[in-house]
Amino acid sequence: MLFNSYEFLLGFLPLSLGIFYITGTYSRERAIQWLIAISLVFYAWWRPVNVLLISPSILVNYGLARTMLNLGERRPRISNTLLWVGIAFNLTFLGYFKYLNFFEATLNDVLGANMVLTELILPLGISFITFQKIAFLVDVHAGRIRSFGLQDYCLFVLFFPQLIAGPIVHYREMMPQFQMATCQFNGRDFAVGITLFFMGLFKKVVLADAVAPYVTNVFASASGGQSTSFLFAWLGAIGFTLQIYFDFSGYTDMALGLARFFGIKLPVNFNSPLKATNIIDFWLRWHVSLTRFLTAYLYNPLVLALTRRRAAAGKPAFSGRNTTLGAYVTLLALPTVLTMFVSGLWHGAGYQFLLWGLLHGLYLSVNHAWRVLRPRFWQGPSYQRLMMPVGFALTFTAVVAAMVMFRASTVTAGLRIWRGMLGMDGIALPGAVLHRLGGFGDRLMTHGVIASGASGSEFVALAGWTLLLLAIAWLAPNTLQMLSMYEPALGVKPLPDRWVAWRPSSGWAIGMAFVAVCGILSLGRVSAFLYWQF
Amino acid sequence: MTDTEILNIFTRILRDLLGDEGIVLTEATERPDVPGWDSFAYVNFIVAAEGQLGVRFRVADVESFQTVGDIVAAVQKQSGNPA
Repeated sequence: MLFNSYEFLLGFLPLSLGIFYITGTYSRERAIQWLIAISLVFYAWWRPVNVLLISPSILVNYGLARTMLNLGERRPRISNTLLWVGIAFNLTFLGYFKYLNFFEATLNDVLGANMVLTELILPLGISFITFQKIAFLVDVHAGRIRSFGLQDYCLFVLFFPQLIAGPIVHYREMMPQFQMATCQFNGRDFAVGITLFFMGLFKKVVLADAVAPYVTNVFASASGGQSTSFLFAWLGAIGFTLQIYFDFSGYTDMALGLARFFGIKLPVNFNSPLKATNIIDFWLRWHVSLTRFLTAYLYNPLVLALTRRRAAAGKPAFSGRNTTLGAYVTLLALPTVLTMFVSGLWHGAGYQFLLWGLLHGLYLSVNHAWRVLRPRFWQGPSYQRLMMPVGFALTFTAVVAAMVMFRASTVTAGLRIWRGMLGMDGIALPGAVLHRLGGFGDRLMTHGVIASGASGSEFVALAGWTLLLLAIAWLAPNTLQMLSMYEPALGVKPLPDRWVAWRPSSGWAIGMAFVAVCGILSLGRVSAFLYWQF
Repeated sequence: MTDTEILNIFTRILRDLLGDEGIVLTEATERPDVPGWDSFAYVNFIVAAEGQLGVRFRVADVESFQTVGDIVAAVQKQSGNPA
């Protein structure tokens, strides 16, 4: 059931919260059990069979983790084996549902085989749940989790506010909170929660969904084999970047808000990524919990192992600005590209996602190389002054270009948009728009701008929404900043007081009521969150 | 080796890595406090520290260090001088 649907907002949520608060007044234990039960209902809503698929996986993971916990440090070899069995089990589970089809199609492509594709329905949120389970096993293996029961584990895996599209959480940051939670109504948590929730709803249904249909048209025509002219290609690419930006930012705010209703703070997941001035910074702001997961469980172990191997072989390691090319390639570029490749594959089973991941791997490698090389020839204050705006523009362009592949139905369709962005398919404006521009329009035409038959109003709507959303993403403070006094996400520190600082006042109540009404009235055209497909 | 000596070695390593002579690490320093000390520089810092101090951290520990003081403590523990 979607967060942005009437049945969730007016049925599921009030009912589950009401009973949770009432139950909590006489038994915390019962309230927690109720929370697990409603999480299962939430998960089962679309396809009850989902629960049957995920339950055995929960039990297997729980069994492995318990065994590792009981073994402690006495039998490290068995414990190691169990960990790898667990990781393999989870990846196979994910692989079967998410990648079997892609794997067969790839074999067909590469070998000319003629396998019949297995169409499986993906259990909801499986990519997120899989990563979270793996992190749990690693943490138990490392001795970072000392005790847990089946009920704790179920709550950790199933907690519905972050079940389907994250944030990806760690057991050690969630469980102490559940243990401390009063499971009763708390005015302050409720006020913070409802503010986050409705701000998120607004971002999703009012902002992201508004630009979505125009973006869809651009990408649909590219899929259909039509060439895309310069302006449409750029507007489509930037428009989609903003659509997914507000979609994911909105989802994340709603997840944070929902968890807060239960007295739980989720980790930061989205922090104005389009304000980033380099691509490393971008990944510390976009889908933060995924970056954190991949860094901790894939990238760091990989780099550690590679660096140690190099050190043992007596080769130079990475050493700041004196780094050798060999060290850069093996210790930096290789693991970075590999990690982003995995990220691409994780997002979707398709060549376009792999290309998206590889591109970001390349971007990050270039950024890291620049950090090594730049101090050799360019130091001093002129660097910051000049490079900030350049880095900002470069990062934005790189992100937008890669997003084309994230959205395109096929690589071919994505390439068509890229051609357009490079101006290889000409610059065109809808005839109606050119006509309205009068003399200026004529001058544009003498400079090679072509009048096309595209709809003028559609062009204006796409351009208008894109500019508006861009202005909000670049200029407005984000929800974490606005609510910083109330720790909207785990570890957010209060910022100095600003005019936009949220407080539980009647002024903010009226403002938020307006935001909420706008959101609820826009629910008519319910659409799924983009990240729910992963 | 004293905690201060280890801190001095850490400071030297990080200055070389990030090319910033202004860095001064204390027990309370956390990664976000030092500009440019991202996850990559962090892993390199760890491996350089391992090399210079003759210790070896577990992957899980590397991820769980919160402050520079935690890393100092881990070095002391491995060298048999629990602080």
